[in-house]
Amino acid sequence: MTLLNQIQTVRSRSRQSGSSRITDEQISDLVSKLQDLLPEARLRGNDRVPSSRVLQETCSYIRSLHREVDDLSERLSELLATSDMSTAQAAVIRSLLM
Amino acid sequence: MASSSSTIPAATAGDERDRKRKRAGGEEPETDDVAGRRRQEAPSRWRTRREHEIYSSKLLDALRLVRAGGGLPSAAREVRQAADRALAVAARGRSRWSRAVLVLASRSRARAHRVRLNSRAPAPQPQGRRPSTTDAPSSSGSSSSSAPALARKAQELGRLVPGCRKLPFPALLSEASDYIAALEMQVRAMAALAQALASVAPSPPSTSPSPS
Repeated sequence: MTLLNQIQTVRSRSRQSGSSRITDEQISDLVSKLQDLLPEARLRGNDRVPSSRVLQETCSYIRSLHREVDDLSERLSELLATSDMSTAQAAVIRSLLM
Repeated sequence: MASSSSTIPAATAGDERDRKRKRAGGEEPETDDVAGRRRQEAPSRWRTRREHEIYSSKLLDALRLVRAGGGLPSAAREVRQAADRALAVAARGRSRWSRAVLVLASRSRARAHRVRLNSRAPAPQPQGRRPSTTDAPSSSGSSSSSAPALARKAQELGRLVPGCRKLPFPALLSEASDYIAALEMQVRAMAALAQALASVAPSPPSTSPSPS
């Protein structure tokens, strides 16, 4: 089941039970899925890490990704500054990317 | 090929699907379309070649429209905004963060446009960064089942992912995982574009006279 499906199931289940409380187990399950996405997951293997640590690493990972995008934007703006790209040049670039 | 076969055995049916896939260069074959689309909703779709190519093409188009500031500090910001907009469009409205990015982008563009029109009158400040969709207020207390430190971290995460400040915890985690996967693809695509541009960069337009 995808993550999104699981969350929808959790939400509908909690609504049916009459309480909006989501169990710790469900939360830790979602957190472990998030943990697998982090770059440190490859080093750590499958060891359980406290949820707060996972959230911490998630925040710093997103921040570092933002920084990378900013640096790349800087670089791209310099590369694009020389002249307007002709259609032919754009076609060449596009073929390099595909 | 003059093969006339009325019944296609299973083996060649699979071959035909593979041939279609190869010919279309990564496009989903017709039969698997529905299942493929469902699979594509997971964050893993940002790792597919198809999404990468779609985004790279959109990114190139968007960047050609950016007013080349020639190294002005605002140029990098405009590139960043164009890249983020293209990324949000690539999400096809399926995630909250992508919808929030597009709303913010259209708001700031409208504001800049108004500033240009009414240079004398002060530009009206649109109130807050609240997304227009209503969030469910009831389940925001569910995260208090664990220590407040977790709630604080969750709040921090909500601030980092666009449009997710008031989301309940499970939805926040889902948005964050999709957002991270999308950002990773954005980084890959922008790096590839920078490399491509650097390799075909035209030489500076200085005309050197040929030695006689």
